[in-house]
Amino acid sequence: MLAVSFLLLVTVAGEAAADLYLTESLPPELALSALPVTTPTAHHQSEYNQPGSARSVRSAEEPATTTDNGESSHHGGGYKIVQWEWSYVQTPYTIAMWLLVASFAKILFHFSQRFTTVVPESCILIIIGLVLGGVVLITNKVPLYQLDPGLFFLFLLPTIVGDAGYFMPARLFFDNLGPILMYAVVGTLWNAFCTGFCLYGMKMAGVIDEKVEGGLMEFLLFGALISAVDPVAVLAVFEEVHVNETLFIIVFGESLLNDAVTVVLYKVYISFVAVGPGNVLTADYFKGVASFLIVSIGGTLVGLIFAVILAFTTRFTKKVRSIEPLFVFLLVYLAYLTAELFSLSAILSLTFCGIGCNKYVEANISQKSRTTVKYTMKTLASIAETIIFIFLGISAVDKSKWAWDTGLVSCTLIFIFVFRAMGVVGQTWFLNWFRLVPLDKIDQVVMSYGGLRGAVAFALVVLLDEEHVKGKDYFVATTIVVVFFTVMFQGLTIKPLVGWLKVPRGTKRKPTINEEIHERAFDHVLAAVEDIAGLNGYHHWRDKWEQFDKNYLSKLLMRKSVYRKSELWEAYQKINIRDAISVIDQGGNVLTSARLSLPSMASRTSFPEATNVTNYLRENGSGVCLDLQGIDTVPSAKVEEETETHHVLAGNLYKPRRRYHQAHYSRHFMTVGDQERQDREVFQRNMRSRLESFKSTRHKRHKKDRSQKKRRGSDVKEKDQETNDKPRRNVSWQDKDPVAVPFEPEESKGEHSEPEKEEDMGITFVARKAPETPKERPKSVPAALEGCQSPPVVPPSPTCAERTLPWKSGLGTSPVCVSMEATKIIPIDLQQAWNQSMSSLESLSSPPVLSEPQHPRVSALSRMGGPIRPLSSLMPVTGISAGESSNPVPNPATGEFRFPAGDEEESALSHQQQEMQPLMSSARPPPPPPPPLAHGSARRRNPCVYLRNLVTTPPGNEPYSRGPTQL
Amino acid sequence: MATSHASATVSSHAKAAPYPKLHDSRRLSPLLEWMRHHIEPLESLTALETTIFKDCTYFTRKEILRLHGRYHELAPHLVPLDYTNEPDVKVPLALIVNMPELKENPFRTRIVESFSEDGMGNLSFNDFVDMFSVLSEMAPRELKAIYAFKIYDFNVDNFLCKEDLEKTLNKLTKEELTPEEVTLVCEKSIEESDLDGDNKLSFADFENMISRAPEFLSTFHIRI
Repeated sequence: MLAVSFLLLVTVAGEAAADLYLTESLPPELALSALPVTTPTAHHQSEYNQPGSARSVRSAEEPATTTDNGESSHHGGGYKIVQWEWSYVQTPYTIAMWLLVASFAKILFHFSQRFTTVVPESCILIIIGLVLGGVVLITNKVPLYQLDPGLFFLFLLPTIVGDAGYFMPARLFFDNLGPILMYAVVGTLWNAFCTGFCLYGMKMAGVIDEKVEGGLMEFLLFGALISAVDPVAVLAVFEEVHVNETLFIIVFGESLLNDAVTVVLYKVYISFVAVGPGNVLTADYFKGVASFLIVSIGGTLVGLIFAVILAFTTRFTKKVRSIEPLFVFLLVYLAYLTAELFSLSAILSLTFCGIGCNKYVEANISQKSRTTVKYTMKTLASIAETIIFIFLGISAVDKSKWAWDTGLVSCTLIFIFVFRAMGVVGQTWFLNWFRLVPLDKIDQVVMSYGGLRGAVAFALVVLLDEEHVKGKDYFVATTIVVVFFTVMFQGLTIKPLVGWLKVPRGTKRKPTINEEIHERAFDHVLAAVEDIAGLNGYHHWRDKWEQFDKNYLSKLLMRKSVYRKSELWEAYQKINIRDAISVIDQGGNVLTSARLSLPSMASRTSFPEATNVTNYLRENGSGVCLDLQGIDTVPSAKVEEETETHHVLAGNLYKPRRRYHQAHYSRHFMTVGDQERQDREVFQRNMRSRLESFKSTRHKRHKKDRSQKKRRGSDVKEKDQETNDKPRRNVSWQDKDPVAVPFEPEESKGEHSEPEKEEDMGITFVARKAPETPKERPKSVPAALEGCQSPPVVPPSPTCAERTLPWKSGLGTSPVCVSMEATKIIPIDLQQAWNQSMSSLESLSSPPVLSEPQHPRVSALSRMGGPIRPLSSLMPVTGISAGESSNPVPNPATGEFRFPAGDEEESALSHQQQEMQPLMSSARPPPPPPPPLAHGSARRRNPCVYLRNLVTTPPGNEPYSRGPTQL
Repeated sequence: MATSHASATVSSHAKAAPYPKLHDSRRLSPLLEWMRHHIEPLESLTALETTIFKDCTYFTRKEILRLHGRYHELAPHLVPLDYTNEPDVKVPLALIVNMPELKENPFRTRIVESFSEDGMGNLSFNDFVDMFSVLSEMAPRELKAIYAFKIYDFNVDNFLCKEDLEKTLNKLTKEELTPEEVTLVCEKSIEESDLDGDNKLSFADFENMISRAPEFLSTFHIRI
């Protein structure tokens, strides 16, 4: 039911979209009458459109526009206030609408979990395409759209293959390269010849109708294009089936690598058909073979050359991180186009470019760029796939293009299936002589059944020249049927089949560090034993290749800083980060479910999402050792409880003053209204909580880090602050420069790797040596921007735990909920996250109120702080701490609290109190989200009262308070 | 034969020789001894001996003869082609380890050591055949796991402790990691698989860890 309604919805949406540009957004009833009026303009305009991606779509639309004999346009004559500029935007609009429809379609049928587990997406997309095509046909009486081969080969296919190639598991691929090549070359040749000959035989035998004109060459040509397994279809179907990796890589690799065979066979037969079979010389056959070698090897070489260029280029993009992804896309795409340019195998080129460059590019580019590349590629590929299948469906409706012959269709269906099965069985029998892990019968069944045909075959058959290939229409129809049958019928049934045959499924298990280690060790062991045996086997060559790669290639193609890092270490870091993220995710769930019953950790015991406890414990224990002083024990519940409270407060209290920032600011600024800063904090906190209430609740709790922080942070941190404060104070004392230059030389040590850290990944776990500071900004940030950023977030010497705490880096990931009674003072590094959310919020809210300058210095500050807004919010931090010891400065906001210059204790007290101040006001229940401008005076009255309360309240009343002295 | 290997466990004995030997020609029955001396040698090994090896390993006679040829190649001056009378020839560790092909291999010494019966790296022909027999695709997974464990167990205490892992890591990374990093990775890997919480990996831990990755041992093959 649900699915049907979705389908209907999609249809309606698609219909609307289709009509929108078909009939230029007139309702279908008016379409026919409107067409003559407007289309000529569109047609006319199209001549002036710039060439590019739009062109190919337009060529698909051309039939529509040319169907009307041009009447003159009604446009023109006088100035119009509002003009209908459809013709101007038509092409991009059309493309955008198509993408939109396709994306909506995906959203819609992913609503139903059960539906999508049964029906593969490709089937649904084809059906949608059929429906859309039908609607277009009915409304227009003219079939308009086809999968245009130009569009397909130049834009849609490379995105999918590029994605597949770039993310191809290289090791798996090369481990199975032999079988893949065998199936791709021998299997495809076998399929092509057998299908072609047998169809011709059927033609001779009279099974296929006489109307299907064509000699042996035509049928061989048809056999060639129909026999190749299609990468798009295989990807679409197999990704949902989750067979084991080996099986998948063999089928998918075959579908990629058979491109060379298909291209060559296709071209050879086309030329043979063109000159006529009688004129084919014997030499031409040899030319064909030579052409195959050139096309395949040339394509591969082009791909590898571009891979080297790409890897080498990314070595030098450190300063221009923002265009790193662009290099990846451009060069990968250029590899494809270059291969097309020389009529080599473009898919091979693209695949090998992706495989070849991946390792080096991933090592060179920043983490952000990696994410960008990944998601952009996936998005593009997904969209391209959607469009391909929808267009396939639409194309099938175009009745004028095809002619039906039952004999041809049924014979083709039978032959491709039978020969595929025979080919697979025969080749597997041969391969199993050499394979260490033989492919068993079930694998063979799945491989035979998984030989899906798809859009490549369709595009190729559409490209046929009707003058030479007389039976083109029949071939088109047959191809459509074959594609539909394989994608829809086999795609639908392969999942139950795989389940029924109990094909070993691929598990999406995350590799452990042990596996990383042992895999490498095993490689070495095997290579050594092969060498002892005097065999030059696979392991021997892989070992040689790895040595070569390590000694020369990596040095050439990777940055120095990167290739010095062992891969094993990289793997370790990745695993660590992943564990941390998963723990945090789990923790987030726990907290949201247990939000209000925070102090009692009963809900923790029910910890639902952790699939197994040992796993959780393991992660909790091992993931903790993110810093160098790893912690061995699993934290006790009480510890976690405490830290949990800690976190809640950390996210909601005022940003604690940071003593260590004072060094960078003149104490001139210290008098800037705390009041105002707090007001803003209150406001922003509320805004933030409002914003966050819309967000998902992930990343809210940081269980692991809590425990980590607890154990480390509570004692070490304070010590660190104590020890490190003093020199800074002295520095800041002298420092009158109001411009914030937040970097310290020692902190810039970590800079080389710093740009790769990111704020928006939620977490930056850094397992590295202590002096390196993960949180600072790259120096390349312009000065004005720097003002907005936090001063170096890293405290003088933050504890390792602190550095790894996610809320420092997470973008507004702090929790929303507040427990009223639990108050605790935490000098937590919220700066970066805070400032990010703050600067983003400030753009929303009113400019900061810099009123009430009660001190001469304040006005100076407000002058300074005016242009650089967020700076002003940071100033008090520096001010307070800078002024703390001998020269306490009147706090303008809380006028009555003046702490006279005195001995150390006094000033320390004053300092503490000032630090308490914001915390106290946050101890109130979070007020309902205030209107954006209401933060001025209303909240200003309170802090003194709260501060006084705090000072008088014995710390024991607050269950989780550490007491101010600990600061 | 194969079943006896499969059932052998590594933890039952201490250091001495906890691992099953695939073949020990000295335990031949007197009748076979007699036959060995009185039947004409076929190529380098007697027909009988190849039969024995064939029964005790996962190899065919032809493969055993090929292995013997290779064994002879390793040390032509030590290993006689006619193997009938001298069962106690051993190829010393240095000979194998200094092979040019193995120059870059970090595990060369360790492999030879762990497959040699005396633990010192002197390979008899039995050991030599064992090495390939373990890695043949016919060998059961348990046997492979035992030998993999043995290779990692540098200090032969039947546990993979931190030192062992550190050694492995240093070999793998060619000392590129700092000591702290090595320690971290070792801790992590122990924590991942240490089920009994004794901070070192017993064979049970190791086997469990390996069985979690089913394709792991299935690739621990070579074909001679």
